[in-house]
Amino acid sequence: MSDLKLQHLEKIYDNKVQAVYDFDLDVKHGELIVLVGPSGCGKSTTLRMVAGLEDISRGKLLIDGRDVTRMPPKDRDIAMVFQNYALYGHMTVYENMAFSLMLRKENKNEIHQKVLAAAEILDLTSQLNKKPGQLSGGQRQRVAMGRAIVRKPKVFLFDEPLSNLDAKLRSATRREILLLHKRLDATMLYVTHDQTEALTLADRIVCMSMGHVQQIGTPLELYDDPANIFVATFIGLPPMNLFEVRVENGKAYNNEICVDLTAEEKEKLAGYEGRDVIMGVRPEDIAEGGKIMVDVISNENLGQNTLVNGSAGGHKITCKFRRWCSYKTGDSVNVTFRKKHFFDKDTTAAIKG
Amino acid sequence: MAMNKKTEREIRRDRLRFTKNKLSSNMILLAIAANALYFVSIYGSDVGNYYYKIFIGGSIIYNLVFMLAAFLSSEGVKNYKLSYACLSVLLGVLQVARIFGIPIRALRAKNPVAGAKCATVMSGGQFRYVTICLCVSAALLAFAGVMGVIRSSELKKHIAKLENNEREGTGDE
Repeated sequence: MSDLKLQHLEKIYDNKVQAVYDFDLDVKHGELIVLVGPSGCGKSTTLRMVAGLEDISRGKLLIDGRDVTRMPPKDRDIAMVFQNYALYGHMTVYENMAFSLMLRKENKNEIHQKVLAAAEILDLTSQLNKKPGQLSGGQRQRVAMGRAIVRKPKVFLFDEPLSNLDAKLRSATRREILLLHKRLDATMLYVTHDQTEALTLADRIVCMSMGHVQQIGTPLELYDDPANIFVATFIGLPPMNLFEVRVENGKAYNNEICVDLTAEEKEKLAGYEGRDVIMGVRPEDIAEGGKIMVDVISNENLGQNTLVNGSAGGHKITCKFRRWCSYKTGDSVNVTFRKKHFFDKDTTAAIKG
Repeated sequence: MAMNKKTEREIRRDRLRFTKNKLSSNMILLAIAANALYFVSIYGSDVGNYYYKIFIGGSIIYNLVFMLAAFLSSEGVKNYKLSYACLSVLLGVLQVARIFGIPIRALRAKNPVAGAKCATVMSGGQFRYVTICLCVSAALLAFAGVMGVIRSSELKKHIAKLENNEREGTGDE
């Protein structure tokens, strides 16, 4: 397993459309990096550039210190797992897993041992004689991973591998990928649009939008300390509530909401006195009790918590209460904001102080 | 990866659990091809109606049945079925026996067609050609069958051994 360096990668298609702008990332040995973002943000394109399936328009790609920017995919020593599994339907699981090694003309006995070892890791030993059509989606995805594992590549690439699975299986397979990562100590690059996958799997997350990297950091950094409004609303479910407020005399207020700022927030917003900013509050940072009144629109009990959608004056607001609630449409509930985030109205960047 | 011979043999045997006996299967398919060469050339003899009446009709039916049986045998051998491997050997023996059927008789029979090129129904050259086709086909079938018997017995023993180990709870091979 190896280090991976993406140095100022850019992708410009022949029709001059630029899909990726100045992507710069150092992936350490054994790290699991998740590229997350909405559809069309350039995350899959970036992965495909690393795989060699797309040409790199600008920048450099180094694997283990070796420049592989112009190298064909087969020589890069990487393995990719696709969303649609890409298994050979006429071959058994064993043959699917052994196929790439057979092409390399490796010793058949060694191939056998590698396939059995991978099957053992992925709990596929009893399925080796079956064809992909006889397997469930999760098992097929495990076969696809097994095919990658047997090659012992320097870097594993996953392109939305769980998107075709149902919710329960997705969660189980996600855990398996995590265990696999720990067991193999492998360098992995993982693409998803599902922020739950990103938060649970990643050592570090790269959040992308419109071809630009918005923020790189640990899951907690992205959740707790988002770099801009995009990251703040993309990471976290339900998304962060945003309010346009004016900062004045130790308060952040608008026509309907008025909150007192803490000493730390006052210090952070010192340069914004008398100016409008965007205030963000995560639904889980809203607690019952307080002076902000929310008119309830809907009440969704999720078991361990309740989502209450409502409006505070003209602003839509989603609250996540940690108990079973039974508010009805038209009820009013007073809430308070525990943790607040502030963003510059013009640049949308987080105000760090 | 250094492996001693015993381990290599063990692994080779274990591989049989997950791989098909493609070599034997392909050899049988080649045998069918060799038989097809025989099949199409035998009717090129300068025979007239006489041989068609007596032998050729039956020969066509036999050839079709033979090719079907050989194909089934190929599929069976591929999956390490012992009975199909034995069938393959039997078909090989029958191919040799067939040399003494139509080809020898045709070589010895006087040509009933007036003014024909050859004095006998089958020329010496054609006889050699069809005999080679049948011999090649027979050899391929017999070899594939024998290999099938060996491999399917090996696999059977290996699986029995694994099951035995599993029952004893050792878990190793």
